[in-house]
Formats: sequence, C-alpha cells, structure tokens
Amino acid sequence: MDFALLRDAFWGLTFDGLALGAIYALISLGYTLVYGVLRLINFAHSEVFMIGTFASLVASGIMGVKVEDDPRTGWKMVLTLLVCLLFSMAASAITAVLVEIVAYRRLRQRGATKLATLISAIGVSISLVELFRIITDSLPREFPRIMDKTFLFSYAGADIRNDKVIVIVAAGVMMFALERFISKSRYGKGIRAVSMDETTATLMGVNINRVITVTFLAGGLMAGAAAFFYILTYENTSFKVGFFLGISAFTAAVLGGIGNLKGALFGGFMLGILETYTSAVFGTAWKAVISFSILVLVLLIKPTGLFGESIQQARV
Amino acid sequence: MSEKLLELKNVTMKFGGVTALNEVNFSVSKGEIAALIGPNGAGKTTVFNVVTGVYKPTSGEVNFNGVSVVGRKRYQVTKMGIARTFQNIRLFGESTALENVVTGADVHSKSGVVGAIFGTPRSRREEAAALERGLELLEFMGLRHRAGQLGKNLPYGDQRRLEIARALATNPQLLLLDEPAAGFNPAEKVALAETIRKIRDAGYTVLLIEHDMSLIMGISDRVAVLDFGQKIADDLPSIVQNDPRVIEAYLGAPADAS
Amino acid sequence: MADKKHKFNLRDHAADFWDASPRWRKVSLSFLFIAICYALPFLNNPLINTPGSDFQSVLFYPVGMYVLMAIGLNIVVGKSGLLDLGYVAFFAIGAYTMAILGTKTSLNFWEILPIGMGFAMLAGVLLGTPTLRLRGDYLAIVTLGFGEIVRIVAVNTDAIGGPRGIAGIPTPPDIFNAKFTILDPKPYYWLLLTFTLLMIWVVRRMAARRPGRAWDAIRQDDDVAQLMGVNTLKYKVWAFVLGAAVAGVGGVIYASQILSIVPDQFNLNVSILILACVVFGGIGNVWGVILGAALLAFTPERIRFLSQPRILVFGVALVVMMNLRPDGVLPKKKREHFDPDWHTIEESGEGEIK
Ligand SMILES: Nc1ncnc2c1ncn2[C@@H]1O[C@H](COP(=O)(O)OP(=O)(O)OP(=O)(O)O)[C@@H](O)[C@H]1O
Ligand SMILES: [Mg+2]
Repeated sequence: MDFALLRDAFWGLTFDGLALGAIYALISLGYTLVYGVLRLINFAHSEVFMIGTFASLVASGIMGVKVEDDPRTGWKMVLTLLVCLLFSMAASAITAVLVEIVAYRRLRQRGATKLATLISAIGVSISLVELFRIITDSLPREFPRIMDKTFLFSYAGADIRNDKVIVIVAAGVMMFALERFISKSRYGKGIRAVSMDETTATLMGVNINRVITVTFLAGGLMAGAAAFFYILTYENTSFKVGFFLGISAFTAAVLGGIGNLKGALFGGFMLGILETYTSAVFGTAWKAVISFSILVLVLLIKPTGLFGESIQQARV
Repeated sequence: MSEKLLELKNVTMKFGGVTALNEVNFSVSKGEIAALIGPNGAGKTTVFNVVTGVYKPTSGEVNFNGVSVVGRKRYQVTKMGIARTFQNIRLFGESTALENVVTGADVHSKSGVVGAIFGTPRSRREEAAALERGLELLEFMGLRHRAGQLGKNLPYGDQRRLEIARALATNPQLLLLDEPAAGFNPAEKVALAETIRKIRDAGYTVLLIEHDMSLIMGISDRVAVLDFGQKIADDLPSIVQNDPRVIEAYLGAPADAS
Repeated sequence: MADKKHKFNLRDHAADFWDASPRWRKVSLSFLFIAICYALPFLNNPLINTPGSDFQSVLFYPVGMYVLMAIGLNIVVGKSGLLDLGYVAFFAIGAYTMAILGTKTSLNFWEILPIGMGFAMLAGVLLGTPTLRLRGDYLAIVTLGFGEIVRIVAVNTDAIGGPRGIAGIPTPPDIFNAKFTILDPKPYYWLLLTFTLLMIWVVRRMAARRPGRAWDAIRQDDDVAQLMGVNTLKYKVWAFVLGAAVAGVGGVIYASQILSIVPDQFNLNVSILILACVVFGGIGNVWGVILGAALLAFTPERIRFLSQPRILVFGVALVVMMNLRPDGVLPKKKREHFDPDWHTIEESGEGEIK
C-alpha cells in the first residue's frame, strides 16, 4: 500500500481519474439509455465501443497517418482528429443499431424473456469479439500519435496533459449535447416517455421501434466518442478492450442508478477517479476488487444506486 | 361490540407529494364482512398495501389482533393471518391453478429444502396436507375442473376466483378482497356475493373493496367510505348509503360501474 | 399468437408417452438411459467423435462438467429467476479447495469433496444473504463482480500460487478397479455422471415440492410470492446455496482430474457459457438444460477442425437459435392437464372449507 503516492500526486491522479471517468461516463450512458427503454443490460455495448476504437484506427490509416510518423500540427492535426472521432462515432452508432436489429428486435416482438434476449446479445458480443480477434490475429494494435502530447499547465504540482484536457472538455460537450437531445427533441421525449411507461407511451402514439432505434443510436454515438478518446489517450486497442472497459462502465451505470442519465455520468466519473486512486494505493491488480466492493456497499445502502432509478417503484 | 381483529390508528401514507391516506382510523371486527368504498384514487388499495406490509405507513399504527404489523416482512404478515387478492389479477400465470393454491397453502408447512431433498416424513405429510387443502379450495371456489390448467389460460372470472382460493389457502383470519367482482356480470356478482357469505360463515373475516353498490349493500355488515385519503363515513350500509357526504363524494367523482 | 402453435411437438409427445407409461416401462427406460450414459465413452463413432481432441476427455470436460454446472445454475436462474453472472466463482472455490488441501494436507479427494462443497455453499450464503435483496439486474452485476473478485484474489495471492496457480494436485484414490489417472478420463467421467444423476434426482424432487413452488412463485412475481407467505429471501439463498454446492463439487472433481489449475481458467466467460447452456437448452427444464449444455459444450469440440472461427460460429449459432427458439431447444412444459384427476390425491367431497 502506497498512500504517499496518493498524497503526493493527488491532483495529478484526480485529473487522470477525471479523464478516465469521462470515457466511462460516455460508455455507461449507452448502458443506461438502453436499460431505461428496454429494461435490459445491453451486453453487446462493450463491443460497440470496441469497434469504435478500431474505426479510429482505420480512419487514421485513411488519413495517411503512420505509427512511425511525427505527430501532426495545425489544421491538419485538427482535421485528422475530427475525422477519427466522426469515424468512431459513426461506426459505433451503426453497430449499435445493427445490434438492436439482430439481437433484440425479433425477440422483443415475440415477447421473449429477458434471459433469452440477454443470451442473444451475449451471442452478438461473442461473435464480434471473435471476429475482431481473428481479423487482428489476437494482437493488440497501436494507434499512431496524431497529436503531440504536451503538458499544458501545472496545478498544485500536477502536470496537466493536453490530450486529457481535450478528453474531459469534449466529453463534457458530448454529454451536454445528449442532455439537450433527450430533454428537448421529439425523439428525446419519446425516449423519456418509453422509459417511464411503455404502454402509455404506445397509447400516446410514440413509435416504439423508432424510439428504440434512436436510443441505440444515441448510445452508440456516445460509445464511439468514448472509443476515440480512449484510443487517443492510450494509443492502442485490441479485441479485448470492450470487455475491460465495458465492465467498468456498466459498474458505473449501476453505481449511479441504472436508467438514470445523471447517475451514469456521476457513476462514470466517480469510478474513474476511484480506480485511479486505488490503483495508486493498492496497485492496479486490486482496482476491480475495490470498485466492486464499493458498488456492493452502495447497493446495500441504496438498492437502486446513488441517484436511484428513474423508474417508479412497481406498484402492487 | 365484538373484538377488533384489524385496527388502523391515524394512518397516514404519503407518496412524495401525494397523500394517499390521511389520518385514517378504521377497524374490522372478527366475523364480519366489512366493505371499503370510495371513488377512484381514494386510497382503498393503499389501505390494503399498508395492512399487508407492502408499504410502511408514513405515520400511524396498524394492529392485527392487537399486534403491530408495521415494519414486518410481508410473508410474516401473511403468516400472522392476513391474506389478500389483487385489483389487477396477479396469479402465477405459468403455474397451474392447483400449484397456485398450494403455494398459498405452503405457508403453514415447516419443512423446506432439506425436508424435500431427504423426503422426511414431515415433509411428505405436509405436502399431502397442502395438496389436499388446495384441492378443497378449488372445489369450494368451483374450480376443481381447472386444477391442471395454467393460471394465465383460465377465463377471466376463474382467475379472480382462483385468487380468492389462493388467498384462502394461507388460512387467514382476515381476507382482503380488492375489487373481486370487477368485470363480472350480474349473475356472477350474485354468485360471488354468495361465496363471500359462505367464506364468512366458515369463520373468516372479510374486508372488501368494491365499486358495485348493490353488491356491497347486499352482503356487508359495515361500510367505510374513503375520499381523497380521508375516511368520511363508517356505518351500517343503509345509513352510509344516505349520507350526504358520501353522495357528494360519489357525485363529485362518479365511480365507474366496473 | 398461442393458437398458432398446434404443431407437432416432440417434447410434449415424449412427456405424454412418459406419463402414460406403466411403472415397469418407466423403470426400464430410465435404466436404459443411465446405461447409455455410462457407456458413452465407448461409443466413439464417427458421428459424435471429436477430431482434434480426445473424445473421452471431451466427455468429461467440457461436456460432463458443463452439464453438471448447468443443472446447478438452472436452480438459480431457471427455477428462481435470479440472474447469476458469477457462477464460476463457486466452481473456482471448489477447485481451489481441492488444490490447496490436496497439496498441503494429507486429506484425500473423498475427504476434500464435502469440504469443497461446504466452502462453496458458505460462499453462497455469504454472497447471497446481503445481495439477494437486490432486484434482478443489480444482482447480475454484483454476482459478476463476485466472480471477478474471486479470480483476481487468486491471481494476486502468492500463497496460493498467484497467476501461476497450483500444480501437482493429487488424483482421487482408486475405487475397486477404477484407477483415477491423468491418462484415463473414464473414471472421472463416471464419477461426474454419478453425481449428475444424483443432482437430477434431487432437483426433480424439489421441483415437485414446496421449494419448487416457492421458486416458481419468486420467479414469476416476487412481490406476490411474499404476500402469499413465501419467505423469498430464504428460498433465494437456498437456490444460491444449492447452485453453489453443485459448482463446488464440480470444481473439486475438475481440479483432481486436471492436476493443475490457474486462476484465469475461472473467468467470466465460463459463467456466461454456462448461463448460455441453461437458456439455450430450455430454461427451467432440467432435460432441456442438459441437452443445451451437451450441445454447447460438444459443438465447439466437434467443429474443432474449423479451428479459427469456431467460437465465432458458436456466437452466431447462439444468436440464431435464440431468435428462432427464444424458449430454448427444449423448453419447459407448457402442457396442461385437462383431466381433473391427473393427480393422486382423493377428492374431498362436498366442497366445504375448514
Ligand atoms: N406507489 C405509489 N406511488 C405513488 N403514488 C401512489 C402509489 N400508490 C398509490 N398512489 C396514489 O395514491 C392514491 C390512492 O391510490 P389507491 O390505489 O389506493 O386508490 P384506490 O382507492 O384503490 O383507487 P381505485 O378505485 O382506482 O383502485 C392515488 O392518487 C395513487 O396515484
Ligand atoms: Mg384500488
């Protein structure tokens, strides 16, 4: 145990935690959105994220960036970054929508049980992981450095790196956009209506199928953005990346109260920071143990997560 | 005055901003058929939920045989002798009618998993007893021929009757019926009234929520009226029927005939 | 919807045939079935053999082991409707009990077997009592976490070998002529089979009695189950503990055959795969679950010649199957008894209630 490290590098760790938390939060939004509408854990969401990271990789190739190149500068760099981001978002969004069609739609229309749907989604997840394992020959892939990583400024002894600042700021923008979308747009209202009460929403003329598609799309866009931020910061990916990040992001969603957007954001950031602290103190090996222990504790005290579910308690 | 089986003292139940029950005082005496009426949303079902431990009242006391039920687990309340049916039928749809009823009858068995695995004599005895009780009750409710059918496949009326059978199977002292005649035609209502009377005559106490006035007037010994979470009347059916406050409550928000 | 389904249904016909059979036929069919199961290692024919891996080994692991574990998990997921994504933890606890006690003490396999089962059950109680109050999906993540925690603890605890695990686990002492050696998986298979048959018997017994009804009620409507007097928490914990016991025994047997274990064998994928077996076969129906587990464990071995894409094929098959048969290959019976006298209890007569 190394509390000294935590004390000395506190602000630096906090900042790293925030950047990681932003990525978690973006992914967990997808879990929460789908859960809100379908009351199902979207097991394939981690692969939606995974595919996003590979999309960035492909985009960087298209833009002619090579691993051995020097980082780009100026407009060329901004353009490359943007293309990668958009590629990731598009790929993840398309994947998410396809996942819904392949794994969920038919089962939902047949009124299948939750478990059957879960297994179907797990099947999609296994297939995607395996597909990418075969494509990549089980090897991790390196992402070229598009942007030079420099320290922007120092705060309380912590050096703040530019890519992390970008991640946090851009993630904030994404979340804000999503929040606007959910609360203001027609589809957003549809999503909220279905989350509250599907039957009533149908009676009120909400097109459930379309709302569900939009939900997966929105979750996919967020996961795609997360994927780009992830690969920008960590500069590599592999077919396993979805599994690791997925578990954490899902934990974050539950921690905050699944089905609750605010909860997902808060849970994401909280988990990101917590994992960073505990890794510093106990070593990375134990971080999952500690996150889960905290999750269990929270659930025992507040059985529906920190912010509670948005759904009303079932009536008798 | 006969002894009080169930007693609610100043019970208040709030859901966020909604006050579903407001300082309700109410009691049910042993051996009677009491009725609880009131317009939609008056708080009738909430009374059942508070009594059976589904909700913990915001304030006030709920006593059964002089013992408080507040804070007890739901299954403990059932064991104490309160059983209920549900306004929106909630049978175990994937289980047969007989299994539904026997599930209720299991309450008083002592043997559990270990007994079942080793097939102890007590377990066998209790299984047989529960099964027998289940069959008796199906017979009593006129559902004997439905024993092997799945709950969800029963006709509507039989589903309602099966809920009563299941509740009776727990051998309650107090039976709570939440709109048992909802959706019934007049002939079925008459038959149901007869059944409820038979249940009472067999020694059970019944508390009944119902919208159908003629049914209520025909069988209940006493009627309490709720309106906006407040008890506005509690008396003999004939008196309640002519109470101006009750008439006003119903005219203000006429009960649908369901 | 339901009316369309008056197609020929093998399961229902088989079940009707079974119900209508006299006792002698039931007994002889059961014996035949059991005999075939025990004879399976010798039925290595081209249709079912597994090119690329030893058929007899495949019968023990994964097929036999998955069948056993799926039966155990079915008590939790299928009967009681509790989504457990960390089932592998109990398997790991059983295996590690065997490994640790087998290498560090002089206890033999038969003595360790009940201890491993006991530890797994204890873990079931400790995990279940606080967490089984949580609603479905929360339980899923908590159990998933538990599974991961057990694995991570094993990886990071040097006293039990850390990431390299434990090697040199002793084999069980011989019984009669059956010699438990690394070279011959048959005795292990028979041991596993015996235990599996025992479990099937236990599960079927419980399903028809009070615990089965309580689990049915809990699965269908937890709130109403409570209101009908079912101590839901108690029966959920029991489901958990029984499931854990099965996995614990599986773990002990597994460790004694494989001779060395490493923590990464006990990862989330195992939990998910066993869950898939349960749902794929026909949740809640023990025969369906057995079939599902046998198919899912066997197929990847059978198609090992596809080497690279076999897991991919497996994943796609899972999706396709669930879409085609959401209730599984062999779902729980939906038959009803229209004959009011299908059970054995005498009628009571006048229809009075006491
Ligand atoms: N779980 C709950 N959460 C929030 N509000 C509730 C809840 N349960 C009941 N209420 C509210 O309490 C009030 C009383 O409801 P209740 O179901 O007891 O009415 P009721 O008299 O049974 O009406 P009905 O005749 O329609 O069945 C209603 O306004 C209802 O919306
Ligand atoms: Mg009501």
